[in-house]
Amino acid sequence: MAAIQVEEITKLWGATRAVDGVSFAVPEGRFVVLLGPSGCGKSTTLRILAGLEEPSSGRVLIDGRDMTRAAPAQRRISMVFQSYALFPHLDVRENILFGLKVRRVAREERERRLARVAELVGLADLLDRKPAQLSGGQRQRVALARAIVSEHPICLMDEPLSNLDAKLRQEMRLELRALQRRLGMTVVYVTHDQAEAMSMADRIILMRAGRIEQEGDPDALYGRPATLFAASFIGTPPMNLLTLEDGPEGAVIAGSEVKVLDGPAEARILGLRPEHLRITETGGVPAELLATDYLGADTVISARIGSQRLGIRVAGRYRAEPGAPIRVAWSPEHLHLFDARSGRRTCDASGLSGTDPAPVRIAATASKGGGS
Amino acid sequence: MRASRRLNQVYGWLLLTPAAILLLSFTHYPTVATLWQSFFSTGTALRPSRFVGLDNYRFMLEDEIFWKVVGNNLLFAAGTIPVSIALALLMAVWVNGRLPGRALVRMAYFTPTILPMIAVANIWLFFYTPEIGLLDQILRSFDLPTRNWLGDPDIVLWCIIVLAVWKEAGFFMIFYLAALQALPPELEEAARLEGASRAYYFRRVVFPLLMPTTLFVLVNAVINSFKLVDQLFILTKGGPDNASALLLYYIYEVAFSFFDDSYAATLTVVLLAALALISLGQFLFLDRRIHYR
Repeated sequence: MAAIQVEEITKLWGATRAVDGVSFAVPEGRFVVLLGPSGCGKSTTLRILAGLEEPSSGRVLIDGRDMTRAAPAQRRISMVFQSYALFPHLDVRENILFGLKVRRVAREERERRLARVAELVGLADLLDRKPAQLSGGQRQRVALARAIVSEHPICLMDEPLSNLDAKLRQEMRLELRALQRRLGMTVVYVTHDQAEAMSMADRIILMRAGRIEQEGDPDALYGRPATLFAASFIGTPPMNLLTLEDGPEGAVIAGSEVKVLDGPAEARILGLRPEHLRITETGGVPAELLATDYLGADTVISARIGSQRLGIRVAGRYRAEPGAPIRVAWSPEHLHLFDARSGRRTCDASGLSGTDPAPVRIAATASKGGGS
Repeated sequence: MRASRRLNQVYGWLLLTPAAILLLSFTHYPTVATLWQSFFSTGTALRPSRFVGLDNYRFMLEDEIFWKVVGNNLLFAAGTIPVSIALALLMAVWVNGRLPGRALVRMAYFTPTILPMIAVANIWLFFYTPEIGLLDQILRSFDLPTRNWLGDPDIVLWCIIVLAVWKEAGFFMIFYLAALQALPPELEEAARLEGASRAYYFRRVVFPLLMPTTLFVLVNAVINSFKLVDQLFILTKGGPDNASALLLYYIYEVAFSFFDDSYAATLTVVLLAALALISLGQFLFLDRRIHYR
């Protein structure tokens, strides 16, 4: 059974639709990420789940019961805030125990839970400190401990890692995920960082302008983005989106001459991930190298095909002068096509290679076409 | 390197000088001069001023009126300070919430603060005037016995206290309001998620976090309770029978009605010492219990 069921919720701020008819389900014990750029309605959605905001319409069911108008405390959820929302005058112990004291949990029970949670998040030695005496990472752990100690089955997290530095964020990502698995918590996690979403989520709900753009597991969002927006939002560097136009033999990348697809362009956009492109000696599509960005493990090459710019990610160091001619190739299964007008995916790579073998032979066609 | 550091020190002193001159000439020098004068007798044309040691202080201890005004002042402080602070906090919490016409209510609460005390006293004089005053008119309309509010030694001080509370609460409210608005809203949300009632949240979180403001307001309230005497000039002139005289008003009378400069200096020293002690005590005692961000 779904721990949380959201049905057609809408939130209006005056005339603005912050959340616009959003529905989704969060299965029990799963880690679900609400992902999107700032202002997409993900935080508002989370606050509606928490009961801190009331939806203008729609229903929120928690454990099958309608909780749309219920007070936050009745929902048996805990929440980790972006700012941590620690009580600055209370020490770590009192911060963690705040909720248990409100609910008048017996003293022995409180101490037992505190000891366990402090051990779990590594705060056992810091219980007498005030929040101001803690580092960012430690404060984050206190906020986490406060959520865990309540032993509520559902935990909502609003960008909990965004105030940490990059290295710590990566560590906490793993730790958070391990903790969630170990405790079997249902987590709804809001972030604008696609890498965070990819690495932690069982399921990603990608939002834009108050609506759900695409929903699925990380593989689905990466492998089969449903829209141009999803394609450009997931992955770093983002997917190359290349405008197609009609060439003499079939569709070509705008401004170039080598056919990349059979048939007319039909206002379609070709999507290729930088990490799926190769640089070849022969075959492929000729391109002009613009710049290289060496990152250690790999190099991101900026290049131009016709009028279209694209990024190519190659392993190790790639040395070349700007302006050098290169040839770019890709396999058909890595090809995405979108309709330029609606922004939606028109067909997927597997279907394409099945119905039309042309892209498979791009390299060959290109080398033959090179002479023409 | 050393030269530039010295130059910096010169600049520092130059920047401090204007304020230092003002403070020295109008605060520190008068204080010391007052202390000095309290050890001398008041000079007249026939008997020049001479050193009398602690004679002035001895006289003060035997002065019945002094003890009367000290008692009045303690009662005045006890009557105004807790009530005005509690009222200020209550008003601040109320106007910090969502209510229609919030700006108007805030302004209304703050208005007494911006009025000069003399004007305030005149308004309240109209309330308190026997027979034709507002209070008596109201009482009469309910067929209740009227009274001479400011002429009755038993109630005159309470009338002054009510006026002072009315004048001060709005001023203190502004500080509480600012402090309340500085509290991050997530704290309340976190408490709500844990199921804390508003009263519990206020007691465990808001009130402790407002303690720095409370200390500041408390120090101000204590000082004001000894300092605010303008209303007495309009309303009672300390009467009847010194029933409403406060320490500072008594000092004024001694100095400028009786022209006993030395005794006035003596009383001033006592007032200053008492205020300094109270402030020091508040800071030392309360500081340990206050969380500063």
